[in-house]
Amino acid sequence: MLETVVNNPWFQPLLLTLIVILVFPLVAGYIVLAERKVLADFQVRLGPMRVGPYGFLQPIADAVKLLLKEDIIPTAADSWIFWLAPVLSTVTALTAFTVLPLGPGIHIADVNIGLLFILSLSSVGILGIILGGWASNSHYSLLGSLRSAAQMVSYEVAMGFALVSGLMVAGTLSMQGIVQAQQDRQIWFAFENYGLMLIPLVTYSIAAVAETNRAPFDLPEAESELVAGFHTEYSGFRWSLYFLAEYGNMFVVSSIAVTLFLGGWLRPFASIEALETPLNVGFPVLLFFAIGAGCGLGFLRQKLPVNKGIMAVLAGGMFLVGAAFLVPAVNAKIIGVFWFLFKVAVILYCFIWYRGTFPRFRYDQLMSIGWKYMIPIGMGALIVNGVVLLVK
Amino acid sequence: MTKFLRAVFLVDLIQGLWVTFRNQKPSLVYTEQYPAERPKVAERYRGAPRLNINPETGETLCIACNLCALACPERLIVVTSERNEKTRRKELTTFTYDTSRCMFCGLCEDACPVDALELTQDFELATYTREGQIWDRQMLEEGPRPTRYTH
Repeated sequence: MLETVVNNPWFQPLLLTLIVILVFPLVAGYIVLAERKVLADFQVRLGPMRVGPYGFLQPIADAVKLLLKEDIIPTAADSWIFWLAPVLSTVTALTAFTVLPLGPGIHIADVNIGLLFILSLSSVGILGIILGGWASNSHYSLLGSLRSAAQMVSYEVAMGFALVSGLMVAGTLSMQGIVQAQQDRQIWFAFENYGLMLIPLVTYSIAAVAETNRAPFDLPEAESELVAGFHTEYSGFRWSLYFLAEYGNMFVVSSIAVTLFLGGWLRPFASIEALETPLNVGFPVLLFFAIGAGCGLGFLRQKLPVNKGIMAVLAGGMFLVGAAFLVPAVNAKIIGVFWFLFKVAVILYCFIWYRGTFPRFRYDQLMSIGWKYMIPIGMGALIVNGVVLLVK
Repeated sequence: MTKFLRAVFLVDLIQGLWVTFRNQKPSLVYTEQYPAERPKVAERYRGAPRLNINPETGETLCIACNLCALACPERLIVVTSERNEKTRRKELTTFTYDTSRCMFCGLCEDACPVDALELTQDFELATYTREGQIWDRQMLEEGPRPTRYTH
């Protein structure tokens, strides 16, 4: 009975869809916690510390607060579009998860236009921001959404050029196919073409930050100028949908970078056989055991029994996950997912790192970087890589 | 040329990233988790007043000379006393100190000839009522009892 259910071709897509819809909001909450903690590290602060041990339950408290808040629709707003806009943003952001190659064969759908699908979805996602800002009938919202429209349209071009360079090398639009091509050629596409592919990678990372409205390109929601930009008038649940969409988009753009340039679910140095055991078994085991040991230390330092319990459960869980990597059969199944998520986490860390380091650009600077530098560089990289590929 | 190369390879940005990265050490953290963690108060900080008692006999050190009340620029100290007919000494009956008007100048503790009145390093003086700000003799001898949130 269970066999037939598990072997049903619909089983994995449905399971993954459920995970994305049900678990990703929680994951997004924890990305926010990580962001607040990492930013606090950069700014020599502690970050959230009061809810749960070391602020571990903060996302849950935040979620409860957001869901219970009063839901306000301004009287002058166009209530229909006001209602529709955050839904559009969130749905497109979460739909983009469908084609992400989480591991070898682990995906919701492997469509042959995978990357194009994500690009088109992210373009529709912008619509949610524009409509939300416009329907609010507020100056701040409208200015914020105008800025975001201009910004996203201009950076989408640069991003497109960078992606086309990657596609040229990969020769396929299917996300699984792109990783497969890297496996076949035994090289991450970031280092293909004698290192020339690094240029599109850098272009893409900069454009991706702008695309997701993150600092230093967070002009659409510049607090010091526009209150909160396009979501000034949004509150409670609707606001949290925008929030979810932003973090969903961050995850998706990081996943594209990982898939197209950083080898997807392949381990580093995939061509060197000798590193198989240390990287595929040693590294995850050490990583999770180290986190577990950290949680154990937290367990010793905490004094409240509740906090002690949470830390103990966390430490136990981490040791269990680490131990799971020691079992060869399990390891073979989850190592791809591990590497994919690990690389995505590294890129998300970089996103937060940029936010903690760079001051916000002025609007004209943003536009001049986009049109005068990013797009020409992207075009140049495309031509150079094309020629090199042809000659090779 | 150097400037151009620096711009191309984003050297300044990477330097900036390195600055933030190397600053994330737990030892550098400046935050003080106040109720859970007691702050370090400066040695010469003047906070909550205290009326000292002789630790051996448990009797007050105050001789009810009224010098503190005279020294106080805010006139917020009221001392009353009674003559003990046997010993022919003044004995303290009540001592009130209005912390809501106090500016913690320390003139009262300077004026005290027997070091009975002292400004301590306690700083948690908040109360829920205005009347709570007026401290009587018992409160002055025992010190404030703020809610402890440490666990």
